[in-house]
Amino acid sequence: MEVEVTQRPTVLTRTLSCLPQHIHWPPPIALTLIPSSLPHYLPWPPVDIKPCEEDDSCSAISSTPSRSSFFPQALWVLENCLPPSQQKKQRVIYTSPIKALSNQKYREFKEEFSDVGLMTGDVTIEPNASCLVMTTEIWRSMQYKGSEIIREVAWIIFDEVHYMRDRERGVVWEESIVMAPKNSRFVFLSATVPNAKEFADWVAKVQHQPCHIVYTDYRPTPLQHYIFPSRGDGLYLVVDEKGKFREDSFQKALNALVPAGENDKKRENGKWQKGLVMGRAGEESDIFKMVKMIIQRQYDPVILFSFSKRECEFLAMQMAKMDLNEDDEKVNIETIFWSAMDMLSDDDKKLPQVSNMLPLLKRGIGVHHSGLLPILKEVIEILFQEGLIKCLFATETFSIGLNMPAKTVVFTNVRKFDGDKFRWLSSGEYIQMSGRAGRRGIDERGICILMVDEKLEPSTAKMMLKGSADCLNSAFHLSYNMLLNQLRCEDGDPENLLRNSFYQFQADRAIPDLEKQAKNLEEERDSIIIEEEDSLENYYTLLQQYKSLKKDVRDIVFSPRYCLPFLQPGRLVCIQCTKSDENSPSFSTEDQVTWGVIINFERVKSLSEDDASRKPEDANYTVDVLTRCAVSKNEVGKKTIQIVPYKQQGEPVVVSVPITQANFLILFLSSVRLIISKDLLPLETRENTLKKVSEVLSRFAKEGMPLLDPEEDMKIQSSSYKKAVRRIEALESLFEKHEIAKSPLIQQKLKVLHMKKELTSKIKSIKRTMRTSTALAFKDELKARKRVLRRLGYVTSDDVVELKGKVACEISSADELTLTELMFNGVFKDIKVEEMVSLLSCFVWQEKLPDAPKPRDELELLFTQLQDTARRVAKVQLECKVQIDVESFVSSFRPDIMEAVYAWAKGSKFYEIMEITQVFEGSLIRAIRRLEEVLQQLIQAAKSIGETELESKFEDAVSKIKRDIVFAASLYL
Amino acid sequence: MRGIQLSLNQTQKLRLQRALEQLESLSSKANSNASVTIADTIPVNYEDGVLKGHGTSELDGEVVATMCGVVERVNKLVYVRALRARYKPEIGDIIVGRVIEVAPKRWRLEINFSQDAVLMLSSMNLPDGIQRRRTAVDELNMRSIFEENDVICAEVRGFQHDGSLHLQARSQKYGKLERGQLLTVPPYLVKRRKQHFHNLEQYGIDLILGCNGFIWVGEHIEAKDPMVEDQVNKSEQQNTKSSKNFTRLEEQEQTYTPPETRQNICRTANAVRVLSTLGFNITVEVITETVELSSSLNLDIHEMLGSEFCVLVAEREAERRRLLTKKKG
Repeated sequence: MEVEVTQRPTVLTRTLSCLPQHIHWPPPIALTLIPSSLPHYLPWPPVDIKPCEEDDSCSAISSTPSRSSFFPQALWVLENCLPPSQQKKQRVIYTSPIKALSNQKYREFKEEFSDVGLMTGDVTIEPNASCLVMTTEIWRSMQYKGSEIIREVAWIIFDEVHYMRDRERGVVWEESIVMAPKNSRFVFLSATVPNAKEFADWVAKVQHQPCHIVYTDYRPTPLQHYIFPSRGDGLYLVVDEKGKFREDSFQKALNALVPAGENDKKRENGKWQKGLVMGRAGEESDIFKMVKMIIQRQYDPVILFSFSKRECEFLAMQMAKMDLNEDDEKVNIETIFWSAMDMLSDDDKKLPQVSNMLPLLKRGIGVHHSGLLPILKEVIEILFQEGLIKCLFATETFSIGLNMPAKTVVFTNVRKFDGDKFRWLSSGEYIQMSGRAGRRGIDERGICILMVDEKLEPSTAKMMLKGSADCLNSAFHLSYNMLLNQLRCEDGDPENLLRNSFYQFQADRAIPDLEKQAKNLEEERDSIIIEEEDSLENYYTLLQQYKSLKKDVRDIVFSPRYCLPFLQPGRLVCIQCTKSDENSPSFSTEDQVTWGVIINFERVKSLSEDDASRKPEDANYTVDVLTRCAVSKNEVGKKTIQIVPYKQQGEPVVVSVPITQANFLILFLSSVRLIISKDLLPLETRENTLKKVSEVLSRFAKEGMPLLDPEEDMKIQSSSYKKAVRRIEALESLFEKHEIAKSPLIQQKLKVLHMKKELTSKIKSIKRTMRTSTALAFKDELKARKRVLRRLGYVTSDDVVELKGKVACEISSADELTLTELMFNGVFKDIKVEEMVSLLSCFVWQEKLPDAPKPRDELELLFTQLQDTARRVAKVQLECKVQIDVESFVSSFRPDIMEAVYAWAKGSKFYEIMEITQVFEGSLIRAIRRLEEVLQQLIQAAKSIGETELESKFEDAVSKIKRDIVFAASLYL
Repeated sequence: MRGIQLSLNQTQKLRLQRALEQLESLSSKANSNASVTIADTIPVNYEDGVLKGHGTSELDGEVVATMCGVVERVNKLVYVRALRARYKPEIGDIIVGRVIEVAPKRWRLEINFSQDAVLMLSSMNLPDGIQRRRTAVDELNMRSIFEENDVICAEVRGFQHDGSLHLQARSQKYGKLERGQLLTVPPYLVKRRKQHFHNLEQYGIDLILGCNGFIWVGEHIEAKDPMVEDQVNKSEQQNTKSSKNFTRLEEQEQTYTPPETRQNICRTANAVRVLSTLGFNITVEVITETVELSSSLNLDIHEMLGSEFCVLVAEREAERRRLLTKKKG
């Protein structure tokens, strides 16, 4: 692999990935890419990079620190690709990840070059143009269907290629790149990815073309990062435009953070809005203060990012008192607004979302999230670009797409809910969003403000603010539709696709590394030489057995069933001391122990809701024990508590100890109980209690503490307990006999042996990963999925696609198996068109509504049918060893918008259906549009099985839903 | 025995009859009562939600057949599969066809379907592998790619909106077929398989089993990796444009087919003919078996078409199936 790196300090790095030399390669000067953010005044494009020189340009990737799909970048590529292509009668394909983005791009290109067409699922404009803008999904299905366009394309430009890491849709990019015509050239535009080289190597490999990387980390407008502590006032500069992190002002910012009251603390995770939104009684809310400050300092326009749609609207409502626009601007806004809304019907103009938005917009405040009507979203984008919106509340979606920078970007929260928990923003997300800050040529610097409402470590902040961008990792996964499409064509071979996938490439790449690791570890292991290894090993295994038996016994004794009655306050317990360092396990049969007093015990609340239904025996418990501990603070200020023997120095502290846990800390319960005082808050009482403990201990020093006998006192009758005890006794006698036990250096020797064992197991696990990655990734899953297709009769035993398979081939916008099964079971046959549309809505709606009302009985019945089918499909998959959770698969079909869609198909007005359901307007529109896509696919499917009645039924359905505001054309067209 | 036209003597007739009877007894009888003729009612046990597929229609609330054939059911879909019909194209089928007309931007092909298939100029790769739109010049040069009566192999792309059937040639392995024989068999004898292109290495021949019943047996042509070829071509084109004509001549000399290959082609073709006469499914395995049988019997190529060999093949097939069912049983 030959790599050529040309470096231009700070401005540009170019890397070339090449394949072996036996193929005649074009000279490596060819082009291709262009970081977006380079300002006009730089000598750009760099002289030595000439794109489209002759024919031998090739693939490339651009990494850019701020906006990837920035105006000059994409246009620059086109400027260089399009004219020569037009001359040679070739085509240029431009793919983008999102329909809305395609529309914007189409508009942008159309203004520059007239010969531009657009193809999205919704619209097709000038399909014969030389440059076609389309979504990546459309491009993929063109390749599967063998459209003639694939024989005419000279350049394929993939915009926002970092979408490839998207869990759901990323695989589309991999398919498209692997299947792309081998004689065309590629340009990949991307946000910054640290492993651009790896991606380029992969492209070079699958496309047999060299791939250049053009990369810059230069930012034309430097960024300043500030922190705004909640309920504080004022900004603290934490990272200056040179990228220096200022520790002192970071600390100051955190100190200015007004500690949240006790009540707030309880709702720490996520329910932070209270403070932000309302502030203290009578005070202005934080967000209001913030915007006011921004306007005063003339930091506008500003984009305020938050992570949920509701929050976004909520925050915008806080601005009710603010007016940021002059009168002439207001007039302007009104004209633009109404001329855009002109295409709506009178009823739709009265939609609350439309009429509520205008007053807000007039005051220079906007909201932008996916729940808005598409047309409103576009109006707001246009107004923002015109500078008529000074303050825009947006969700993350606003951070991808067209060139829409602001001077300032505010993060209203530093945590984001990612499906199951609140986590810190990743540096990649931070980079993407902060990329909107700073308008080139207008602002000297961009400003990022982080609203912080809880303490955060400087390291966390540094990670977020100064970390590197997210890696471009493959999110490859198999789908039935993909398999069937591959199986259907003579050359297609799913295994081939897998072999060429980026996923496989990344896995293969890791192998040499792993080999080296394994080798090093092996060497290290072999260098350890121990005398009398055999007998030592024997002793070691005995020890291990002994320990695991002890643990078994303890598990039985301390199962809540037996021990709960004995956990009264005042009982003395023997607990294990915290080990000084956890890496070296002790090898003696004795543990270092101490004694403490039980104060209380309580049940651990688990997160699952069915806690209440659990039997008390099954729940987890912790015991609060008073004992002597060494308390120390480490440098970050985190307290660590170590339990120490009672004779050592330490404070008396109450620690809670889980009773059922792997590294059980409680060893024995004694039969002695002390009387303890109720109030243990004062240090003195605690000290006294511990004194009592040591008194008791000294009293029993000779004969040993009387312990609770498991069999007699605790009434443990289980046979497994008796067996374990007997075996422990046997082992103990073995230890005594073991000669090596008398060796003076036994402890050290055992430690060495333990190390050796650890190394061996590490080597083993590395070798296992190596084996799995040399094998074809997904091979087992491929087999399992093929099994499913065979079992359900989609393909024959020798992989020939059957009738059902041909139907499923057509369905790419919904779950293909469930939908095909529904169709073949005749569910659509006898129901009304409206009911059918309503049933299909379950396939396109994914959001979960907590308290959505149940649909009416007829629909409910249909939905149960759907669930039954889905369950059957999922069960077959499970039987065929596809990893799937049956119930979560079944519940992935949501009935929440059935009523609304039913009404829509019946011909209701949009405002009427909005009254039925609680969802956002934009989400509903998106779902209905996708529903239309599914219906189009079903029309094709019905055609292929020759069911003309069903076909016309689907067509009827399309005509029923395709109307009015839901399918209003984009303003960009 | 219907349709088999051979001049057999008495013993041969008996042997053939026995073999065919045996075959019949071995075949699955499940569908034998499901055969229908036009206007026959198709019984539908579950009343609601029946999907009526190809070859069915609704008449007075009953599902009736509109074709002669066998009733097939997939879940609730009912359709009639015709037994001996013309070829019915499905997306992704590999077919072999003959050019009957060079029309504007397209070729018309006879493919044994009820209408002619269309292969658009834009649906196949240009000879030099370049990616571009087709120009007027390309259109004028269409005859240099395919002429009338050329035999072509292509893939079914699908029905266009106007109802015409379109073909496509996805890669270099599709296209003109030369130096071989085209055989026509009833299309139902060719079952859809994963592979329809076969290279019989031991004979040095290519075998293409078109789903439309057109079978191509020809000399093996090495399929080159289009990319490598391309790169090489490009550099060669630049350097040796002058000597190009010369290389063409050389190439032509290389196109001479050796007699052994020709014999193999004929032998394989005759095997296909025998199988089609007997009405056996035509797969690559059965063809090679038949070819091997003929050569092991030291039969001349022309003797393969004699009735004796035909009877032998039938007996052999009956024996093979018997063993197969025995093993399974």
